[in-house]
Amino acid sequence: MRLTMERRAEGGKWALLLSPLLAVVLTLVSSVVIFWLLGQDPLRALSVYFWQPVSDAYGLQEVAVKATPLVLIAVGLALCFRSNNWNIGAEGQFLIGAICGGGVAVWAHGWGGAWVLPLMLVAGALGGMAYALIPAILKARLRVNEILVSLMLVYVADLFMDYLVRGPWRDPMGFNMPQTVSFGPEATLPLLFTGGRMNIGSVIALAVVVAFALVMARTLKGFEIRLVGQAPRAARFAGFSDTRLTITVFAISGALAGLAGVIEASGTVRQLLPGFSPGYGFTAIIVAFLGRLNPVGCLIAGVFIAITFIGGENAQIILRLPRDMTLVFQGMLLFYILACDTLILYRLRVVRPVDPGATPAPGVRS
Amino acid sequence: MTLAVAIALTIITAATPLLIAAIGELVVERAGVLNLGVEGMMIMGAATGVGVAIVTESSLLGVLAAIAAGMALSALFALMVLGLAANQYASGLALTIFGLGLSGVVGAPFVGIQREGIRRIELPLLSEIPVIGPILFRQDPFVYASIALVAGVAWFLWRTRAGLILRACGENPVSAHALGYRVLRIRLYAVLFGGACAGLAGAYLSLVLTPFWTAGMTAGRGWIALAIVVFASWLPLRAMLGAYLFGGLIILQLHAQTAGVNIPSQFLAALPYLITIVALTLIMAARRSAGRGSVAPASLGQPFAPAR
Amino acid sequence: MTLTRRNVLAGASALAASTAIPMRAMADDPLNVGMVLIGPVGDFGWSTMHDRGRLRMEELMGDAVTSTLVEAVAPPDFDRVVTQLVRADCKLIFTTSFSYFQPTLRMAEQFPEVMFENATGTSTMDNLAIYNARFYEGRYVQGVIAAMKSQTKQIGYVAAFPVPEVIHAINTVMRGAWSVDPEMRIRVVWANAWFNPGVEADAARALIDQGCDVLCQHTDSPAPLQLAEERGIYGFGQASDMTRFAPGSHLTSSINNWGDYYASRAQAMIDGTWQPEDTWGGLDSGMFELAPFTNMTPEETARAENVIEGLRSGEIDPFAGPIVNQAGEQVIGEGETLTDDEIRAQNYFYEGIDVSMPG
Repeated sequence: MRLTMERRAEGGKWALLLSPLLAVVLTLVSSVVIFWLLGQDPLRALSVYFWQPVSDAYGLQEVAVKATPLVLIAVGLALCFRSNNWNIGAEGQFLIGAICGGGVAVWAHGWGGAWVLPLMLVAGALGGMAYALIPAILKARLRVNEILVSLMLVYVADLFMDYLVRGPWRDPMGFNMPQTVSFGPEATLPLLFTGGRMNIGSVIALAVVVAFALVMARTLKGFEIRLVGQAPRAARFAGFSDTRLTITVFAISGALAGLAGVIEASGTVRQLLPGFSPGYGFTAIIVAFLGRLNPVGCLIAGVFIAITFIGGENAQIILRLPRDMTLVFQGMLLFYILACDTLILYRLRVVRPVDPGATPAPGVRS
Repeated sequence: MTLAVAIALTIITAATPLLIAAIGELVVERAGVLNLGVEGMMIMGAATGVGVAIVTESSLLGVLAAIAAGMALSALFALMVLGLAANQYASGLALTIFGLGLSGVVGAPFVGIQREGIRRIELPLLSEIPVIGPILFRQDPFVYASIALVAGVAWFLWRTRAGLILRACGENPVSAHALGYRVLRIRLYAVLFGGACAGLAGAYLSLVLTPFWTAGMTAGRGWIALAIVVFASWLPLRAMLGAYLFGGLIILQLHAQTAGVNIPSQFLAALPYLITIVALTLIMAARRSAGRGSVAPASLGQPFAPAR
Repeated sequence: MTLTRRNVLAGASALAASTAIPMRAMADDPLNVGMVLIGPVGDFGWSTMHDRGRLRMEELMGDAVTSTLVEAVAPPDFDRVVTQLVRADCKLIFTTSFSYFQPTLRMAEQFPEVMFENATGTSTMDNLAIYNARFYEGRYVQGVIAAMKSQTKQIGYVAAFPVPEVIHAINTVMRGAWSVDPEMRIRVVWANAWFNPGVEADAARALIDQGCDVLCQHTDSPAPLQLAEERGIYGFGQASDMTRFAPGSHLTSSINNWGDYYASRAQAMIDGTWQPEDTWGGLDSGMFELAPFTNMTPEETARAENVIEGLRSGEIDPFAGPIVNQAGEQVIGEGETLTDDEIRAQNYFYEGIDVSMPG
């Protein structure tokens, strides 16, 4: 007798609800144990981690600031992943977006007008799109593995940013420090409220989520994307071209990552400098999967991940836990959530050996 | 020692950790599993290896502990993606985060402690041969181990029945299952092997290459190992070539700098990545004109759940 | 030079040690000091040494202070981390990277009641002080020692990034070396990382293979020094005393020592005498020191000690004219000397340094 997993005929409805709940319960239980082992008061620690980041207006705004790039990138990645296109290099597209948008700001510094900001946003999105098209076209034309190319391009983008801020775009008045000028007001995204950092970027992200939710549910393109991911053969019979789709989804996700980059540059950091991104492009991959490759799911997952990041900082400040502990905690949390997702697609069963027939799990959506 | 020999020696030491980690991941991917957590397993190997070596004062125990640590993390990954059929990409990334954090916790007591590195093995007489002597017969044990690993994996995958079955699990797990092979168990062994290799590669960093511990010392080498696997089209000998090419580019750009080549160092540093992309494109273009398709294991990254 | 500048550090440790007890009795609540680090606390370099400074401050001041550390903070997260520190009642916050300078200006404006101190920043505000150490004085000594030790007349320099701090450090090594032997040359390799032991070691190998026989490093890990030991040449340690990593080739290390400075600043907060100073402490400030010389003959040691004395007294000025850059152009003439701001903004190399300036 052994335990096996059986694929559900259709996603279990109660499991859809139970899975996140179970993940939360497991996380809570093990964090209580860990905090207790570390000699912390578990209740206080939990509240620092999960409650304090959202307990007031300032905290909520910070969650929005942190979640905005994650959500924007993840929504695009979800499209890619759904159609079996593995864009692992959103981090690079994010950086190129920041570079293109930031380049406009640097160029127009001191003399630009109201046109600067829209131009930055467009430049950032186009830059990210162009950068994502490199792996897309190589994949579509030559079947070059897109995971590798997009990943390699992350390092190239990182070094390019480094070159720019140490070389041609260095702030001439900045004592030779490797950073651009601080963007002027014409190149800074307006804040939504005083006394916080939340800016128009969060609104843009929200609008993108709504738009993509509608596209995926209602339009032919959305159907095509889902179909190609789930049943590539059927999609080919239906006359959908997978090379064209590859290029489309890469372009969209690159544009969104680039947009996230320029929003981060003009709304939050307000200059370009080394260490510009704390790895948003990679974290967004996790966000996309936690959000079950669904735009609204990505929104929820992005907010959740943002809370755990901020909770980790708070734990350093208030509980004086080392940062490594918070990484361990985060990794564990992700494992629980991913593991509990299994419940949605599979049913655990005790069976007797041996059972000859087998079906593969379709796609990678589980 | 001539400059060329010196450069060759440096390239070998820079390439060896990449090669060890890549050859492990190659077996994992041949079995149809993509583990993006190489960086996490590698750094756990580095932290555990040097920690245990310091505590027990034995390099051998350190190496064994590093292998065990890599395997432990890969077992966690296996539990996720094989046991629970969780998404491999997300699980691998989560493993990297987890490993980076845990290595910091494990390594904290050992920051800044000096210990003697593992010495080279010099074969008498042979190592005195000019040029090839120092390159072939005056290396540390890890270099020999990495070459043995390549040969062993190449032999295993193409000359043994077990290797054939493993590849079948990567190409078509449904058929392999139908033929009565335990796909998940075979994949588990492959994942554990990959973890052991990543741990060993980490041990090379913290026990040989730079014998001490500091947080984040793998500095992205796990990701380069992943790139090498793809670059190598999942072929062990080509992985060796890829690792030496990567190591060579890293070293040569440093030498180009000392020679006063007037190019921004960032461009030189980006060169290995750009050349990999170009090389990969050329390989695929050649395959295409020869009428052959993609070379990746057909079911790479896809979960498999035997069901009724 | 050093002595003509304001120096808040004289006797800092003595002050802290002798006054800690009465101060403790006076203060009702301990002063909460915040610190933001750019790297992980275990980098064994820049960030580790700031953290040791923080611990030293706690040790000196006992119950009079508590401190809160946040490590590996990326610039986009900086504003939030500082805001949280302020909310956790930190009254004095050290932000320990030039990447934090612009955001620190912003936060200082937002929280006028909190005092900020930025390491390696370039201007002050009412509630923002800046501090750094004149590490280049130690570099000058390294140059002198390297020239005495080198047979090949080539110094290898493993450098992180071409930021001004690193550039003027390389220049002063060159100056120091020339004071012994004008034929000395420096080769530089950019590791493109403050911290990547493998690449640092590879860079060191490349330099040694190219004929350098003394290594300087401006990266954090002990890897280049270990390489020097392995290859039987000489090297210098960075950030902390690295003698034990290379007992047979270590010459001296430049040891960052922020603890006394942190303690004196915290004390000033408690006393109500805190001012937005611009501190750039030299060899006598205690902000850094040179580890005891090893592997040197008594004559070499004596000469190095002499140079240290000269730097302390201002007799030796690494930035005195004439200065000629790589292209052979004269930057300043005989009798002139660079101002502090000119040193901070240095973006050219002296002649004799074999490296290209990026950008």
